[in-house]
Amino acid sequence: MTATSATALPASDEIRPAPRRWGAPLWVGALLIVLTFLVLYPLLMLVFGALSDSNPVVDGFGAFRPSMKHFLDVLGNENVHLAFFNALAACGGGTILAVAIGLAFSWIVVRTDTPFKGFIAGASMIPLFVPPLVAGVAWGILGSPKTGLLNTMLKWVGIDFRFDFYSMSGLILVFGMYYAPYVYMFTASALRNMDPSLEEASEVSGASAFTTLFTVTFPLIAPAILAGSLLSFVVMLGIYGVPAALGAPANISVLTTYIFKLTAWSPPLYNTAAAVAILLMVVTAILVWAQQRVLSGKSFATVAGKAFRPRPLKLGRWRWFTFGLALIYIFVVVVLPTLALIIAAFRKFLFIKDFDALFDSRAYSWVHFNSVFDNPLTMLSIWNTMKVGVLTALVGGVLAFAIGYTVNRTQVSGRRSIDLLATLPVAIPGLVVGVAYLWAWIGLPGGLYGTIWILALAFVARFMPDTVKALSTSFMQIHKELEEAAWICGRGMLGTIRTIVLPLARPGVVASMTLLFVLAIRELGSSLFLYTSNTTVMAVLLLDYYEGGNVGKTAAFSLVQTVLLAVLLGITTWLSRDAAQGSAKAG
Amino acid sequence: MYRRTMTATAIGLALGLVGLPAVAQTQFGSKELIAAAEKEGQLTLYTADFAETQQEVIKEFNKVFPKIKVAMVRAPGGQLITRIKTEAAAGKLGADVVNHSDRGLMLDLADLFQDYAPPNAADYRPDALVSPKLWPGVTLGWAIAYNTQLVKNPPKSWMDLLKPEYKDKQIGQVIGPSGGTTWTRIMFERQVLGEDYWKKQAEIGIALYPSGAPLSDALVRGEVSIAPLLYNIIYTKIVDGAPAEAIFAPEGVPIVPYADGITKTSKNPNAAKLFMNWRLSKEGQAFMINKLGNITSLKEPPAYPKGWDPKKIKVWVPNFEQFSKLRSTWIEEWNKTYGYRQ
Repeated sequence: MTATSATALPASDEIRPAPRRWGAPLWVGALLIVLTFLVLYPLLMLVFGALSDSNPVVDGFGAFRPSMKHFLDVLGNENVHLAFFNALAACGGGTILAVAIGLAFSWIVVRTDTPFKGFIAGASMIPLFVPPLVAGVAWGILGSPKTGLLNTMLKWVGIDFRFDFYSMSGLILVFGMYYAPYVYMFTASALRNMDPSLEEASEVSGASAFTTLFTVTFPLIAPAILAGSLLSFVVMLGIYGVPAALGAPANISVLTTYIFKLTAWSPPLYNTAAAVAILLMVVTAILVWAQQRVLSGKSFATVAGKAFRPRPLKLGRWRWFTFGLALIYIFVVVVLPTLALIIAAFRKFLFIKDFDALFDSRAYSWVHFNSVFDNPLTMLSIWNTMKVGVLTALVGGVLAFAIGYTVNRTQVSGRRSIDLLATLPVAIPGLVVGVAYLWAWIGLPGGLYGTIWILALAFVARFMPDTVKALSTSFMQIHKELEEAAWICGRGMLGTIRTIVLPLARPGVVASMTLLFVLAIRELGSSLFLYTSNTTVMAVLLLDYYEGGNVGKTAAFSLVQTVLLAVLLGITTWLSRDAAQGSAKAG
Repeated sequence: MYRRTMTATAIGLALGLVGLPAVAQTQFGSKELIAAAEKEGQLTLYTADFAETQQEVIKEFNKVFPKIKVAMVRAPGGQLITRIKTEAAAGKLGADVVNHSDRGLMLDLADLFQDYAPPNAADYRPDALVSPKLWPGVTLGWAIAYNTQLVKNPPKSWMDLLKPEYKDKQIGQVIGPSGGTTWTRIMFERQVLGEDYWKKQAEIGIALYPSGAPLSDALVRGEVSIAPLLYNIIYTKIVDGAPAEAIFAPEGVPIVPYADGITKTSKNPNAAKLFMNWRLSKEGQAFMINKLGNITSLKEPPAYPKGWDPKKIKVWVPNFEQFSKLRSTWIEEWNKTYGYRQ
């Protein structure tokens, strides 16, 4: 309690009482200890692995033989160079597309009077809940140059053009479409919290709506755009499923598929994989540093003490144009792949000779669903997944709030280290981080290994950067004057957080906990090493179906997962709407 | 030939499916062993095989021994090995039985396994064993599969896969470095079919896939028309009515005997032993052949897969010493020949 009280008292502020002497260091120390356990310790295991030939648990630290061999092998391997450039091209292109889509959507939903905005907002988030592997499989079914449903349709219509999603442009398109919600989440909450009087001032001064958009609105939410694009880029870098399903047939290798090869190799080359992972982390570190350089010294506070009521821009007839754009996006990103999955899930086999064969009702049945639910592991995995998801969202949400607040709203020394530690896991591919957690935590005394908790802790650590960054955007927008007002009125630290910060940041808190829940449910890489027969989760079972070569069961199980997530999304949307109303009242 | 093999299949089915009354329990172990195993009541299986396949095996085992619950942990080959090593080093190995396709990797871990031999140990081919502790509970074999809707003139032998009529990526293949099973096949191609087999095949243009499962799916969908596949991957699809068929080639069927063992730290050693005894018994093997499309390492197979004429078809087991020694250099050459970037 005392520690928390002292934390939020920026040293630079003369109004506030002097910080209690031991509170801040104790608080920072506690956070650092938690982050060391969750992030630094597993990461050291990874560095240990990259710099030696040994498994730290099997061979012990005594067997550490420092060697740069893996790094040098990786740096000198021209296939790694190619995978590296392919990854940059796919993720770079994907990010540009994701920013364009995500920004357009957040503007349409938050700042315009486009009809059916609630529906658009909900539907455009659906891609986020689709596991990358499923997205890859769905777009393979749609866009394969030989058997893709889109091409079967084009042939039927008599058009010569053929789609080819087994290509770099296919990868970029799928990445861009599926990771646009990341950008959307950041920019929508920033736009929602933005005082429209700034835009009004611009318009009163004679600027057109278009000029206002690019000279006032977008620059004001620059931190959110940057944070969203950085996160989506880095997340794409770590995705395995999409390039595995779409890149592999065209022999396009990216860093994650390369790492997967290393871990699947006999014997598995985890030490080399760790070296590749460290390289990925260096790239991410540079990006994070660049982001901080761009943002440093600028104020992005747009939520101030003055009350405002967000006023949507009246688009007139153009609102049907924006509505049309939204419908096209939703059709391409949600309807088409879902249709592909439905066809795959209900068709006994996916051999579709021509367009007419698509409508042969004899080819459809519930057989894949029956077999999925005949499997006793299905219900167990659903139950376990829900438990892990809730635990991760709660523990991760609280921790991220504590970290985000300490880093963004206080001046305590050590907060930079906290920020750095919380950002580190962002670039480590799941497959490698999974083994790092196994190495780090299996030897701990007590019964952590083999429980749901070890999975939840791994997810909390792995997705800490995503959650903290999502929350930081909300914190950065709340002007200090609001907290100062509370302090002047005699509120304590916790009271200020409870009555001022939490209500204002609530949309961001709910959004980041939802994100954490979704990411936890989809996460495969770290689950694979930490699950046991009693704690098996849906992602592991999905991989089992995929690796079993049964696209029908994979699709059926994916649909089950999607429906479950859609229901949960409905609940959280309702909660966050409630929260938004709450924060509007507070503002 | 077809009639004869159909008869063989029917006999196999009869053996595998009909004749397992409850009294037959004792053929898998002594009364004492069964009583002790049932008292333990459970065991944990770590497997690198397909989860669904192993679940079928467990279900069948439970028809004979319903009181023994089998829990399963499944992970891809290399990842499973890393997990086993790490758990064992931390003193937390959760497995009672391990089932793995890579005999080389399992041999490295032989110290983790206890001495064990099934009651019918003498019935097994000696060349399928790499250690007296590790047994081929599962044996898989390579077949040539094709899409019946797309291929009018199906291949009948491995040499047919060099024909120019199948050019331009009509043939799909699992990449050489994907694991022990594929390494067995490409070793067979070079040692039995000729030094230049890879080169000739690469020249007609081959579509490459990272593993057998997506390839079998691609074959059924019509992405590729022909593919060498482990028979069990395509067999269940054929049985379910997929537009596919598979043949065993006369030049030989490369087989992949797994290495299964009971861990030294097993908490349920009796249940584990009984489970292994059952898997390795004629009945267990016949079930896997008839229902799952496996082959067997038994000297006298209790059943044959459909289309398998024992007079014409020979199995090919890799020489284990060469299996380990040649691996990296030959795979590197394979990668170069097929233009695969490792």
